Amino acid sequence: MRVRVKIRRFNPEQDRRPYWATYTVDAEPTDRVLDLLVQIKSYQDGTLTFRRSCAHGVCGSDAVVINGRNRLACKELVQDVGRSIQIEALRGLPVIKDLVVDMEPFFRQYRSILPFLINDEPAPYDERLQSPEARARYDDTTKCILCAACTTSCPSYWASSDYVGPAAIVQAHRFIFDDRDRGAQARLAILAEGTGVWRCHTIYNCTEACPRGIQVTQAIGEVKKAITTGEIR
Amino acid sequence: MSKIARVSLPNAVAYRGGQPMIAWLLHRISAIGIVVFVSMHIWAAFFLYAVAGTTGGVAEALTEFYEALPMQVFVLFCILYHAINGLRIVILDMWPSLYRYNREAMWVQWAIFLPLFLLPAALMILGGS
Repeated sequence: MRVRVKIRRFNPEQDRRPYWATYTVDAEPTDRVLDLLVQIKSYQDGTLTFRRSCAHGVCGSDAVVINGRNRLACKELVQDVGRSIQIEALRGLPVIKDLVVDMEPFFRQYRSILPFLINDEPAPYDERLQSPEARARYDDTTKCILCAACTTSCPSYWASSDYVGPAAIVQAHRFIFDDRDRGAQARLAILAEGTGVWRCHTIYNCTEACPRGIQVTQAIGEVKKAITTGEIR
Repeated sequence: MSKIARVSLPNAVAYRGGQPMIAWLLHRISAIGIVVFVSMHIWAAFFLYAVAGTTGGVAEALTEFYEALPMQVFVLFCILYHAINGLRIVILDMWPSLYRYNREAMWVQWAIFLPLFLLPAALMILGGS
């Protein structure tokens, strides 16, 4: 089948503003959008720039806007998105070139919520044991691959990049509800600030955009409740 | 080196977030509608009484505008939608485990909102014509 691929291109060193470039590609229905991008770059226009690494939905490097929604290019099949495909860079992050965005603001927000286990108590001889039930409490938020699809789909983040964003809150949730961690109060204090969870307006774009199926809005809601009640359950 | 981090309004609205995003947009629009209506009410009263005799015409024009049938139906929509949608969000915030049932919550919301809005709106339109 012939597929029409429209890509929003922008090279800050040459272009004054982004423009749409259209390519026609022969594809199988089971091809992924990433395959189309590789085909365009390999055979039609070598200047097209995009990120890809594992190409199997694990590394999260090829998150882009496909037909108006944040998706991983390596997980979207042509048969699911149609013969006319529109691809843009993620919204809300500075464009370095074409589909490549500067992820530094995103990772800065991620680092701000202390995304590591905090526990100064002496470690046991073997390991810090945890029950299956306690592990299950935060299982959903361990699945995050930091692709930024959730954060860059959030209108609150578009309005203010000071907002820590859904991905950082998901990562905070992963440690706040881990019963081996002792840094929950510090993280809750960070997220209770004006740039924290209260910027979330329950729009659900993050949940819809997450390629890992994480219930992002629910995780944010649980952190909001923990801040309000002071209880971590 | 890098440019364009700001998201323009057309670009933001072009994002296909689905029903919850539309609900959020309507929530904001209805809030603006309520603020505009209440402000007009206050300004009309101010012009009518505070500086009586000099600006009565302005008060009359404002009153005529917000008492017109389309504006009344719009205000009814704004207040009911804002209240019922807000209630859905409050309930979800109180019990975060319900967040995953948002789709169902939205159908319930429409099931409550539509009769509450359409019946009085129909009566207002039919009664006004």
